[in-house]
Amino acid sequence: MAKLFVKNLRKVFGELEAVKGISFNVDEKETLCLLGPSGCGKTTTLRCIAGLEIPTSGEIYINSTLINDLPPQKRGIGLVFQDYAVFPHMTVYDNLAFGLQVRKMEKSKIDSKVKEIARLLDLENVLQRYAKRLSLSEIQRVAIGRAIAVDPEILLLDEPLSNLDARTREKMRTELKEIQMKVGITSVYVTHDQLEAMTLADRIAVMNNGLIEQIGKPSEIYDNPKTLFVARFIGTPSMNFIDCSFIEKNGKAIIDASEFYLDVSDISSIIKEKSTTSELILGCRSEDIIIETKKTSPDSIEVEVKFIENLGAKSIYHLGIGEKRILVKTHIIPGIKIGSKVWILFNKNKIHLFDKKTNLAII
Amino acid sequence: MNFKQILRYILLIIVALWTLGPVVWMISLSLKPPAEWYSANIIPKKLILDNYINLFNSSVPIGGTYFMTSIAEAITVPYINSLIIASISTVFAVLIGFCTAYGVSRYKAGGTFTLFFTLLTRMLPGATFVAPLLVYYSTFGLIDTHIGLILLYTAVTLTYAIWILKGYIDEIPLEWEEAALLEGAAPWTVITHVTFPLIRGGILASALFIFILNWTEFLFALVLSVTKAITLPVQISLYASAVGRMYGSQAACGLIATIPMVILGYTIQRYLVTGFTFGRVR
Repeated sequence: MAKLFVKNLRKVFGELEAVKGISFNVDEKETLCLLGPSGCGKTTTLRCIAGLEIPTSGEIYINSTLINDLPPQKRGIGLVFQDYAVFPHMTVYDNLAFGLQVRKMEKSKIDSKVKEIARLLDLENVLQRYAKRLSLSEIQRVAIGRAIAVDPEILLLDEPLSNLDARTREKMRTELKEIQMKVGITSVYVTHDQLEAMTLADRIAVMNNGLIEQIGKPSEIYDNPKTLFVARFIGTPSMNFIDCSFIEKNGKAIIDASEFYLDVSDISSIIKEKSTTSELILGCRSEDIIIETKKTSPDSIEVEVKFIENLGAKSIYHLGIGEKRILVKTHIIPGIKIGSKVWILFNKNKIHLFDKKTNLAII
Repeated sequence: MNFKQILRYILLIIVALWTLGPVVWMISLSLKPPAEWYSANIIPKKLILDNYINLFNSSVPIGGTYFMTSIAEAITVPYINSLIIASISTVFAVLIGFCTAYGVSRYKAGGTFTLFFTLLTRMLPGATFVAPLLVYYSTFGLIDTHIGLILLYTAVTLTYAIWILKGYIDEIPLEWEEAALLEGAAPWTVITHVTFPLIRGGILASALFIFILNWTEFLFALVLSVTKAITLPVQISLYASAVGRMYGSQAACGLIATIPMVILGYTIQRYLVTGFTFGRVR
């Protein structure tokens, strides 16, 4: 089993600096997800690891071996492509056997290996079929099977679910997770879908604009976003952001959002220490806000219901306070209609504050 | 049947007659005795096979003394020559064309000018460079040799192979080749195991097209071959000369010459339709 180390990887295409010096490592049997919007450099990073692009600078190691100068076919890396790239002129059997055949392995060994992979991925019944007669799920499994048939040290997956419709994607995501648990291989998974990243990754590296914004366990990324970008990118609906300023008066520290304020005396020292400006952004996830039908605490804030999105079991309440909009996701509260006056209460343990200048998280 | 349909059928019949006319005329001519060559009847009054038999008869002057022409050679040698020269130069053109097209398509080899440059050879009428070629060929002793014609045919048809095959290679998603690379295949193995089989339709299409060009080429063969490397089109032309006109044998020879083309075209046609979309998800 192998570990992967990427150090200060940079890749420049002409004028465009696609990857601006990123470092990360992937542990044995770990799945690291590179998550980010399109054009953030995640696929380029993957292609550099695979050897399909030559890094402008930086080093890539598998265990202690520097693989920068190795051609792709000698790196021991398997790659599952975005559109799977299953060879259309070969049967499933030949697709799975391709890598073994070019390695000049004995026929009997190839046969047993192909059968083993087919059993693992439930492809035994379609071994003699051509790609055009396979279902999407089968094509995906062939692509994965072909990539792991040659026992790669590292498995790379480049947005393998992005071309599918929502329902198939959901099904294949679970399938992929099951395969991953069965196979247990060091892998790097590239996606722009946070749900995929959350489900499949042991750790997530959120990328933006050629840089890694934050790297950590899915729960860490979700609960403690380190930058404004990560906070905005992760979570559906997106986190509520409210421009505010930090004010101290009468021995009290408050966050003033003009329409309302929050008492933050207990964390004022942290804010003062970490912020570079008094202009802050308050962030709170839509499920960390409580809606009340009557005022229960001095911190309750009066708002008006502007719109209700019914999701079935839950609803997203679009609440208006002055010009600001706050989204709250909660169970359906009977009696609340568009236009009703309600009160909201921020869960103070779950609020986030970001420095407006540096975009970094304060708490 | 309405008026539109009738009109459509009439048009189809006109086109069919227009294309089939010469063929029918050739068949008719090849079965007629010399006395009927100049008459307009399609069905011969007297059916003969002499025109065909004479083609393989080198010792007797064709058509008897009255219709004797400048040649009396059997078509066996030109026929074999044509087969050898046309097929070898087709194989050369397609193979070299494939490699060039691959380089141009995948690595932008030679920049944008390469493709245009290869086409330049076809922008001049052949007649303009056949004279200088004659000089070169006589210097190098290539006149009336198979290799001389093979080299020339390869050179002038190469550009078609490049252009046709580049189109096909461009259609192959790079991921297929990259996937093969990552499976551990060396670049050359990727080409032989993935790219080449995938563009089989293109290979056959360009091969057929180039073979037709080579098979029917007349001008270069006329100037650069005499007897040893003489090809069928030149042979066909020899049946009508200033001395005499052997229209019956000429037609028969023309018909026999089309046989390989018909067989080849018929066997290949089902490979000519290809699609690249299968196997991909998009």
